Amino acid sequence: MQEQVINFDLNDEPVSIYADPSLSLLKILRDRFNLLGTKEGCGRGDCGVCTVLLDGKAVNSCLIPAGKVQGRNVLTIEGINGKNQVKAGLMHPLQQAFVEKGAVQCGFCTPGMIMSAWALLQKNPAPSTEEIREAISGNLCRCSGYKQIEEAILQAAKVMTGQL
Amino acid sequence: MSYIIASTLEQAINNLKTSDGRAQVIAGATDLFLEEFPLELVDISSVPEILGISRSKGFLSIGAGVTHAETAASSVICSEAEALSEASLQVGSPQVRNMGTLGGNVISAAPAADAAVALVALVAKASLIDLDGSSREVFIEDLYTDYNRSSVDSKFEILLRFLIKPAQKGEGSAFLRFAPRAALALPLVNAAARVRLANDIIQEVRVVVAPSKPAPTRLLETEKLLHGAKPDLLTWQKIEYTASSEVEVRGSMLRCSEEYRRHLVGVLARRVLQRALVRARKVT
Repeated sequence: MQEQVINFDLNDEPVSIYADPSLSLLKILRDRFNLLGTKEGCGRGDCGVCTVLLDGKAVNSCLIPAGKVQGRNVLTIEGINGKNQVKAGLMHPLQQAFVEKGAVQCGFCTPGMIMSAWALLQKNPAPSTEEIREAISGNLCRCSGYKQIEEAILQAAKVMTGQL
Repeated sequence: MSYIIASTLEQAINNLKTSDGRAQVIAGATDLFLEEFPLELVDISSVPEILGISRSKGFLSIGAGVTHAETAASSVICSEAEALSEASLQVGSPQVRNMGTLGGNVISAAPAADAAVALVALVAKASLIDLDGSSREVFIEDLYTDYNRSSVDSKFEILLRFLIKPAQKGEGSAFLRFAPRAALALPLVNAAARVRLANDIIQEVRVVVAPSKPAPTRLLETEKLLHGAKPDLLTWQKIEYTASSEVEVRGSMLRCSEEYRRHLVGVLARRVLQRALVRARKVT
């Protein structure tokens, strides 16, 4: 498809890119913006490892044509923590909790898991275990299982609501 | 060669017209990368005419661009079209439900698309408009021409809305599916039912299963058994038997055998009818 200019907000900063709008958002994020935190797994919306937020909602970036993000807001794993936090070497409470709870084994699914969890905690700051399971039901982990991931999200929710 | 985001219906129609059959409509686009696609796309996901859930002349009017997440979260759908609410919650994953639309679920014509099965049980009609501006209303099941093929050519026609009758007093509906896992799995069988009761006797009933024929398939013999009935234990046993005998199913090496699928149809048809019936009694 003919390249066109696509303007959108990426991690809270306006960006413009001249690109083929039929490429996937995932490809654009990785190849053009060098945001390598978002991974490619199955490439067909089954594994959730490419999860980013589009206007605050968790989506599979491998299924989204780049043209679709025109004028919209995209948040990737690199953007969840705000620049000042990153500069100060601080992790987001979700990232911190994943480390502390041992919710990372090979780590490939982690960015997607965290983005799904982030979307959940935005609209439901104190989720139940059941709600956490539902929120990450589109994210596959093939090494460890999901127990520690659930615990990490629960812990992050408590930290973020000031209970811990 | 372009990707155009149409903000009005007029703009979408004009773009399709000027492309002379080269451009195709897309909305949620979740299936776009799974097959080859045309090099001209008209994205209608922000066209107001295909958005929102409203009431119109005694019908619930649901935009074809409403996502599965929106349907599942709608209190109106949850209380007045329970089958659709339950079905939408089963589609794909949270990520897919945030993008995928009801319209796409029908137009892509997958033989066991959850929401489409519920829509057929709810006697839904689709409202479409062509490039000349003339519109038509069609029952969902009449939109299927073959497996994964609908009669809607999205180069020349746009599916706007679905119309369904909201559940009245004494009516209830339900949806069930059987899949290898709770999440991210295609169903081996899915089933939806809608019943209307008066004095605890079934006045109207519709039970639909898939995958069977290209379109979600009504079990007419099973429905006949229930008309005018006040089902007892024996009736339910007959229902299970009749449903699995009358249905046309295929087996596959990957999913399950024909025999197993036939068995599942019987069990799910009974369960989904019973569930709809419980709801119909509640509203009475």
